[in-house]
Amino acid sequence: MSLIRYVARRLGQSVFTLLGVVTLTFLLVNAAPGDPIRIFIGPSADAATVESIRTKFGLNQPLHVRYFRYIGNVLQGDLGQSINYRVPVTQKIFERLPATLLLVASSFTFAVLTAIPIGVLSAKQRNRFSDHVFRILGLVGVSTPSFWIGLLLIILFTYHLGLLPATGLIMPWAAPAAVDNATTRIDVLYQSAIHLLLPTLTLGTLQMAAIMRIERSSMLEVLNQEYVTLARAFGVKEWTLLRKHAFRNAQLPVLTVVGLQLTTALGGSVLTETVFSISGIGTLIITGVNARDYPLILGTTLFYATIFVVGVLITDLLYAYLDPRISYGGGDD
Amino acid sequence: MSDADSDSVSTQTSLAGWTDVTAQLRQNATSRWGLYVIAVVIAVAVWAFIDGVLLGYHFAETYWHSPVTADPGARSLLPPVGITNEFGTGVWAHPLGTDHRGRDILARLVYGTRIAIQIGIVATGLGAAVGTVIGAISGYYGGWVDDVLQRLVETFYAIPFIVLMIAIMSTFGRNLWIAIVGVSVITTPVFARLIRSEVLSVREEEYIEAAKAAGVRDRNIIRRHIIPNSLAPVLVQATLQVGVNILIVAALSFLGFGAQPPTPSWGAMLAQSRTYMLPNPWFSFWPGLAILVTVVGFNLIGDGLRDAFDPRLDD
Repeated sequence: MSLIRYVARRLGQSVFTLLGVVTLTFLLVNAAPGDPIRIFIGPSADAATVESIRTKFGLNQPLHVRYFRYIGNVLQGDLGQSINYRVPVTQKIFERLPATLLLVASSFTFAVLTAIPIGVLSAKQRNRFSDHVFRILGLVGVSTPSFWIGLLLIILFTYHLGLLPATGLIMPWAAPAAVDNATTRIDVLYQSAIHLLLPTLTLGTLQMAAIMRIERSSMLEVLNQEYVTLARAFGVKEWTLLRKHAFRNAQLPVLTVVGLQLTTALGGSVLTETVFSISGIGTLIITGVNARDYPLILGTTLFYATIFVVGVLITDLLYAYLDPRISYGGGDD
Repeated sequence: MSDADSDSVSTQTSLAGWTDVTAQLRQNATSRWGLYVIAVVIAVAVWAFIDGVLLGYHFAETYWHSPVTADPGARSLLPPVGITNEFGTGVWAHPLGTDHRGRDILARLVYGTRIAIQIGIVATGLGAAVGTVIGAISGYYGGWVDDVLQRLVETFYAIPFIVLMIAIMSTFGRNLWIAIVGVSVITTPVFARLIRSEVLSVREEEYIEAAKAAGVRDRNIIRRHIIPNSLAPVLVQATLQVGVNILIVAALSFLGFGAQPPTPSWGAMLAQSRTYMLPNPWFSFWPGLAILVTVVGFNLIGDGLRDAFDPRLDD
């Protein structure tokens, strides 16, 4: 199968997956008990008002009509009107998106930049003291609830040491006048950095640990292969061996894990944003669920799923590009 | 055992291999610690189930502290023994301190074990079973069956676990059984994918061809040959997944979608502690530690099993 056909096939599959996500969330929110209109305007409103609002949001129509209309609207980039905020869902999502993107991007960067060197070092120093320390770190990292790390960091760095703020996030591009303790751009960047530090560690630790573990085992596997032994026998220096022969070949499994960690990071953002009171998409989902704001729940879930599906698609394509052994059809054709 | 089974060699684990695996697990120092930890945690959970669910906290209330209501006169937010905060000095009666309602933290931790283990193990088991069947069918038949099932699996995979669970719990109600079903739903795709890729390699083995030639029906080939021969990675994944699921359950309780008060659960304790982190940080410390130790235990066993099944990475 040619690369183009493979890309087309994967794109088609992604569309079906997203259609599945819309259908699933649509069915779920519609199976939910509780009247969103009632929650929104309160129990004291009279029946006529309730009905008029219901008609306004189209909630009085049969399920299948609403479903197909929703799909049609989504295809035109319209995720509907948030019942709770009275603005288009897309507007709300894009309002909250920068905070979540900043958080996820910074924690991912932190995770990848620390995990890969540590994983390689750990494999190189196998069964020595530093390897044991790194392995324990990795094990604890994948076993710790991220929100607990967040709470402990707040207790230590905010309450006891008074060093770092525990709430909110400041965008690096915010106007200095709108930011506390800031008069210049440098101040804003500084405030942004110190606000970002604890949430990044909170969200990034799990990713770091997961990537570190796979990096180590993948490196070990490659280092065990005959061509490495052969190179070693020829007197290739240990670091050269690591850098030129082993490292590149060990990165494919790591790539898969990094791709899959994206969904963990998105899910984790819900918790991290809650712990640090960050107005991102994660907290938007919680608001949506508590207010039974159907369009908002559907829209945010679909948005997260889209990011994930696109992420996995990119990983797959990178994989096919990087590993010439992979036939584009996979094993199933 | 049929003749075809004896053909399965090398990469797949035969039944005789299982005794080797358990022996290796016991010999490996780190996984042995995992076994100890999990044995203790499960024993505590069983006790919490017997006394908490079946006897309505009879023993706890008679001989110890109730995990759901405060003892009369108990002070709230006490620190652990030997430490003093603005609410007083820790006492041996409450070795880990008390929470905001004056309930013993240790008692709540002990009885909170049940929720974590019950959901962790039951949901993982259910999800692994359903996922294995879906994955086996998907991998064995291929073609359009595979396509449809894979899109279905990906649908569940594409939504972040926490978000999907929140949606499920807020739709169907915030109770234990919904949580178990929900967690098994999000666990299913993990195993479906895993088994499918295993099956794709097992499917090509000669003994499957032999079984087909001998006229064995598809259903029996899947049930008697494909699934048993793909089981080693499932066992590894299931052990690790129990840990993941305990983390998910804790996260849900933390967000308020788990066991409802006053039922003790680790995640809910962490959520309650947020307001009191400044005066009594210990209140936030213990439940997280309980989660950490339990999940580490499962991960140690999982890692040990993986090493035992995979001779290439002998330490």
